[in-house]
Amino acid sequence: MSASLAPECNEVKERYDNCFLKWYSEKFLRGAATTDECEPLFKQYEKCLSKVLKERGIDKMVKEAREDNRENDAEHMRPKR
Amino acid sequence: MVKFYSSKDTYSYPFPAVTLAYFLRYPNPYSTHVLSTDTISRYFDPETQRLTTVRLHLKRSKLPSAVVKLLPRSLLGASASGESQTYILEKSVVDINEGWMDSECQNLEFTGVLSVIERQVFRRPVPHVSDEAKLFQGMEGAARRHGFLNFGGSGAGAKVGVDLNGETTDVESSVTLHSHVGETWRKKRQAAQEGTFSSSDEEQPQKMGFLRSWGTATLQRNIEKIGLTRTLRSQPNAREGMKVVLERMREGGLVGVLEGMRKDREAILQGHDLFKKNGGPHAKDD
Repeated sequence: MSASLAPECNEVKERYDNCFLKWYSEKFLRGAATTDECEPLFKQYEKCLSKVLKERGIDKMVKEAREDNRENDAEHMRPKR
Repeated sequence: MVKFYSSKDTYSYPFPAVTLAYFLRYPNPYSTHVLSTDTISRYFDPETQRLTTVRLHLKRSKLPSAVVKLLPRSLLGASASGESQTYILEKSVVDINEGWMDSECQNLEFTGVLSVIERQVFRRPVPHVSDEAKLFQGMEGAARRHGFLNFGGSGAGAKVGVDLNGETTDVESSVTLHSHVGETWRKKRQAAQEGTFSSSDEEQPQKMGFLRSWGTATLQRNIEKIGLTRTLRSQPNAREGMKVVLERMREGGLVGVLEGMRKDREAILQGHDLFKKNGGPHAKDD
């Protein structure tokens, strides 16, 4: 599995990643998903990570980039078919 | 001025496998510069069966060194003082019913100097067949998709993991490079000319002496050109990386991919020790 940018979050990230991969390949890809079953694990991972993102000021950069992109997303994030 | 790169490719793997490989593409032997990957948000919409993911990658090497040489340190900001890492934000949407994945990656820092937006669209090809055959193929395809991945269950296919069946996935890639260097200065100058009181004029001249002699447009063009050169160099590596991950999936299923990642991660860590010992970069830039 890929590493987390915050070593202290590696363990909880790995638990979430494993859950996600199983859900993604067994449920989502088969069109059989009804809910995101890994959300509780994601919350734990997010809690760990968000602390580090804040400390390093990355959360602000991400927020700005996502705000800039909101309009673009509306236009681009759909298929061209 | 904007530089643009685009290409089309076809993977000889089914669409679901390609989307999975996309999420698992780091680390791979062609991406030793990617230090970490974190998911920062994920949203599943049960109605549309779409999955939206936002991830953050940390990569070694920021701007091409040629660009760094072109610019005064003051413009690059504090983090340029020797730190050679940059954050990349990736957003993707997978629609499994319609058979497409749309992804976009962008740099988070130095966007004023050079903003790089990489977009990839993966599509399940639409078969050119009659309606009747299409209906049949649709059912067959659905059955195939349902069985395409295996998690160590029983049966002959369990070890293979991925059912290939000659299905392919089309991918369209594009990279947009845009430099905004000098634009904020121009705005400031305009503001000053329009009579807005500004004391910043005195702070600027030394920093931009040689930049001014070159001209904003030329500088932007040069930075974009360097960015494009690097894009052209890195794109084949990105493609090869995906192919390695897909190959591992074919050989050993998900377990095979994870095992490969573990080895790559070890190699990257060892590479870091080497980096520290020898005091110089040996890994590929992209």
